[in-house]
Amino acid sequence: MSSNIRYKSRIPVKTGEETAEEKQYVGFATLPNQVHRKSVKKGFDFTLMVAGESGMGKSTLVNSLFLTDLYKERKLLNAEERINQTVEIIKHTVDIEEKGVKLKLTIVDTPGFGDAVNNNECWKPITDYIDQQFEQYFRDESGLNRKNIQDNRVHCCLYFIPPFGHGLRPVDVEFMKALHEKVNIIPLIAKADCLTPNEIKKLKDRIREEIDKFGIKVYQFPECDSDEDEEFKQLDKELKECTPFAVIGSNTVVEARGQRVRGRLYPWGIVEVENQSHCDFVKLRNMLIRSHMHDLKDVTCDVHYENYRAQCIQEMTSKLAQDNRMESPIPILPLSTPDVETEKLIKLKDEELKRMQEMLNKMQQQMHDKEQ
Amino acid sequence: MNLCMSNQTDIFAPSGLHGKPAELLEYPSEKYCPFNTNSVGIRSKGVFDLPLQRTAYQRPDQATTTTTAFSSHTPDYPPAGRAFIMEEPEDPYYVTMYYPGSVYVDMSDVVPPEVRPKPAVPAKPPNVGAPSPSSPFPPQGPGIGGGGGVSGLPPSAIPVPIVNHGHSVGHNIGHGVGHVAGHVGGHTAAHNGGHGHGGSHSSGGGSTLLGYIGIDTIIEQMRKKTMKTGFDFNIMVVGHSGLGKSTLVNTLFKSQVSRRSAGWARDEKIPKTVEIKAVSHVLEEGGVKMKLTVVDTPGFGDQINNDNCWEPISKYINEQYEKFLKEEVNITRKKRIPDTRVHCCLFFITPTGRSLRPLDLEFMKRLSHSVNIIPVIAKSDSMTIEERQEFKQRVRKELEMAGIEFYPQKEFDEDMEDKSDNDKIREAMPFAVVGSDKEYPVNNKRVLGRKTAWGIVEVENPNHCEFAQLRDFLIRSHLQDLKEVTHNIHYETYRAKRLNANGGLHPISSNDTQESNL
Repeated sequence: MSSNIRYKSRIPVKTGEETAEEKQYVGFATLPNQVHRKSVKKGFDFTLMVAGESGMGKSTLVNSLFLTDLYKERKLLNAEERINQTVEIIKHTVDIEEKGVKLKLTIVDTPGFGDAVNNNECWKPITDYIDQQFEQYFRDESGLNRKNIQDNRVHCCLYFIPPFGHGLRPVDVEFMKALHEKVNIIPLIAKADCLTPNEIKKLKDRIREEIDKFGIKVYQFPECDSDEDEEFKQLDKELKECTPFAVIGSNTVVEARGQRVRGRLYPWGIVEVENQSHCDFVKLRNMLIRSHMHDLKDVTCDVHYENYRAQCIQEMTSKLAQDNRMESPIPILPLSTPDVETEKLIKLKDEELKRMQEMLNKMQQQMHDKEQ
Repeated sequence: MNLCMSNQTDIFAPSGLHGKPAELLEYPSEKYCPFNTNSVGIRSKGVFDLPLQRTAYQRPDQATTTTTAFSSHTPDYPPAGRAFIMEEPEDPYYVTMYYPGSVYVDMSDVVPPEVRPKPAVPAKPPNVGAPSPSSPFPPQGPGIGGGGGVSGLPPSAIPVPIVNHGHSVGHNIGHGVGHVAGHVGGHTAAHNGGHGHGGSHSSGGGSTLLGYIGIDTIIEQMRKKTMKTGFDFNIMVVGHSGLGKSTLVNTLFKSQVSRRSAGWARDEKIPKTVEIKAVSHVLEEGGVKMKLTVVDTPGFGDQINNDNCWEPISKYINEQYEKFLKEEVNITRKKRIPDTRVHCCLFFITPTGRSLRPLDLEFMKRLSHSVNIIPVIAKSDSMTIEERQEFKQRVRKELEMAGIEFYPQKEFDEDMEDKSDNDKIREAMPFAVVGSDKEYPVNNKRVLGRKTAWGIVEVENPNHCEFAQLRDFLIRSHLQDLKEVTHNIHYETYRAKRLNANGGLHPISSNDTQESNL
């Protein structure tokens, strides 16, 4: 395309020898370039959550993916201390820069998940955290100063399935069902170096089956455009059939086949992390970082967040509707005599609701105006 | 014949190997001891001198050796180490002699003489006494001379009763000896005067007995008996599903003894509570039969809420003890009470590479006092050697801090030798194992292993994993000890608790009410 040459410069050079084609050329094909430059300046952010039992190699994998060392001062609890441990949420933030592009990476860790003897509702702190982030964003968005909204919403959740079992366990199923409508879930098979290739295949098939059976909506790769070439489509298809990815993480460098590679050294052989025939680490990295990072963010914004928002608003309006009904001519006697404190709380809540209602009305007004 | 009583050795060795100790038979009596000894030997009336009865009965065709042997018995017997007469002799011919410090075994079930290797020289029938099997005067002959004719078996040392014929009342040894007497090389009673003193060779040694008695042949006899009756072993496997429990048990016993949970094609749901499934098989090796029962516990730790998931297991173990106890307190006891008590519980630790899981710790805490727990690290091919060492250390430390004693327990070490052996084992536990039932060619041999894209993990290679160590420990050296600890310690603890709890056993059945004030 002739305009390829053109978009290097901002202002098309006006020379007398404009061809007819150039006369037609407007120049907005440079938009992606402009966006690119702006974003590079601004930097990107990405929030990744890792969930799974302890000892699954989550931290190692994160360190391997992003080539960092996020967990230097981590204190690991022993079994006695973990008997009654509750799930915590810990955030690690790191700024990475590569070829001029800055990435603010936040890893949300969930130590204690699935570790206790009684794991009932152990995912609740996690769902609460995700909801909290949504709520905070919602408020910021509806607020007055919207310039510097901090986006802490979780864009992706890597869920580590232990390789030792025969498929999904009850706790896995419950966790994914509680979270699949709030965040993009990518299930992974952890520590895949203890499985033979046959076993990996069977486990993957079984997990895919069970995911379908239980109706869990894991993150789906977007369909590639029909105009992409065959090779890309083929790769894409392979990628999709490989889920869930069987990964191995390592940050230690070993010598294998005359090269220094990241891997794990066993008496019977060396597992290379970046060897595609050994594990799916490369596929995961490509998918997560190199091709679909932005898509993950988009899906979070467009789908999960919108769902949350719609739900929130619905709740509010239904509450208001109830309130309205409460003020009907027939007085409904209160069921119990509220004491002073609860009355105060009720009043506060009422005011809040009224404020929200006003905001909503304003927004609706604006929309009306736009339409007209 | 050099016999070492102490440690177990390869019980699966072919029976041609002599000198290897047999497995002790498992008897139902509460203090199992095949030897009815007190510290001195026998409660005897201590009759020292038997002037007349002591005269040897000389058989006309007696080999001279016997005579010489016999003549070496001077009538004045030194008190120590000499035989005593058990009861007042009413009839000189009806006296039975016992040697103090000797051991007696109930020879009633011993393999009849026909089975024993025949002496090189045909034995001569006794001149005196009925030719019944209980005759104390079995074919004598050359066997006495030195028992060399037979495959290295020493002469039997069982004293022969002086009594001529089958009057072996009250003395087990009596008719038993009759059998034994048929034993090659064995023996003894050339004669009525019966010193029952075997052979001429003086195995003297440190023994105060003059000459070789052959007490050590008891081992051989027991071994034979074990081979005949076989023994049973009950092993329980506990751990999260998918840790390779069934595969490991199959690999340990080299047969399909444990039903795999249909691995990948399982259509059944995960059980809601822990189930207990026991499967028995009879294995045979080298003439020894073993009834192996594998108790599986599917569903352990698989639920979201795993509180008290150890209870069904604890209940099962106690039920087995209860069953045994009931059989024991019966008036008419079975000769051999079927033993379904769990001798060993293999607990599979998830190889997280970091530390024990809280559920693992809870389980072991609760069950280490009622059953022998052997922790194993499952699927250890997910850890490198350094990780494995670290993990093991951490696990051992955690177990120590929680006060959990796994088998072999320190408190039950009997002597220094045991202690040092067991210390070495304790340092190496928990064993990190890999199980497999598939074979792959490695270096022109077919070995059990797991084939991955980066190499083959060999199950029996000590550099790869500790399966061989576990197997040797579990089967080749401590199998009998596991059973003994279960019987002598865990079962006794249970029994004491039960007996104390209600001031005596509940009447177990209407027939047994007399037993209730045990």
